[in-house]
Amino acid sequence: MSHEYVPEIATDRDGNEHLVQGWQDDFYGGKLGFWLFMFTEVMMFGAMFLALAYYNHIHPQEFLNASASLNRLLGGTNTVVLLISALTMGLGLLKMRSGDIKGAKIMIWATILLALVFLGIKGLEWTTEYQHGVFLGLDALQAGNEHSKPLGEILFFGMYFTMTGIHGFHIILGIGLMIWLLKRINAGKVSTEHHILHWNIALYWDIVHLIWVFVFPYYYMIGAATGVSGGH
Amino acid sequence: MDIKKVNYDEEKGLYYKVLLGLLLLTAITFVQPHYFLTGSIFLAQMLIAVVKAYLIIMFYMHLKGESLITWMGFFSLTLVIVFFVIVIGFDVPNFQYGSESYITDLSANDVHTTEDVHHNTH
Repeated sequence: MSHEYVPEIATDRDGNEHLVQGWQDDFYGGKLGFWLFMFTEVMMFGAMFLALAYYNHIHPQEFLNASASLNRLLGGTNTVVLLISALTMGLGLLKMRSGDIKGAKIMIWATILLALVFLGIKGLEWTTEYQHGVFLGLDALQAGNEHSKPLGEILFFGMYFTMTGIHGFHIILGIGLMIWLLKRINAGKVSTEHHILHWNIALYWDIVHLIWVFVFPYYYMIGAATGVSGGH
Repeated sequence: MDIKKVNYDEEKGLYYKVLLGLLLLTAITFVQPHYFLTGSIFLAQMLIAVVKAYLIIMFYMHLKGESLITWMGFFSLTLVIVFFVIVIGFDVPNFQYGSESYITDLSANDVHTTEDVHHNTH
């Protein structure tokens, strides 16, 4: 099946034919559209941060106590993993733009690998928290029983699992997008001359990183000096 | 659109410099609560995050030199910040149903049973 671009012809009332402008190569338009999508992501996470700030405002001490109990070593490792993955993604795009397709693909694979490491560490963290009885649906995070944590901590952990869960879902989506990108590169649909897809997926990965830049200190670091040793 | 090839060796240096800056800021994130601005941990942590975000947006997301998208970003951020200020600065402190809400009722903090929480709301 051919994917050659066939120009469209529009005919006006007088029977004159006009070539319809094709926007397939509108690099700036493609980029601008993706930025608009990213603003919706910022609004979604912004609303969650707003709820978090609201709960924090009314339960400051319990937020500090809950934050202190998170595992900063694992959270910090994930921060560095994501940071390096942003570099590999950026270098991959640079390689694509410089004409080194093979190098670009290696960098995308490296990013996928780092994303899997991130998910593995996150999974380990959640598993440990589950084993300590701290997870959505367990007694500690349900009001009204003898194992219930204080309300502020319930809200903190509720937001923590929701936001890191949605963030993790974005990581999984990112892996899917990168695999799709590799397929498109192999099919010759993404190249040095036509790399808007690569550019936008790199932007997506950066916004995922950017969200973590705020998620990490808000959850893991605000209670770092609160005496309780970190690590569920 | 004519897309020019870039020189990988000339441009990669910037990526590594930004990585170095981000790693340094991450290290500061870890030591800050114990060594400086210990009375304002939240503020300090958010300030460090903003600097990290600036580096990512400007260099990794190539916003440097993109005036239209930058202005769109500023506009959107201003809207978000205005909402934050209104909600956190005015709405939350003057929440008129505060004493009736399960979440905002501070007296419910130490109460762990549904019956007691229910009782507190009446």
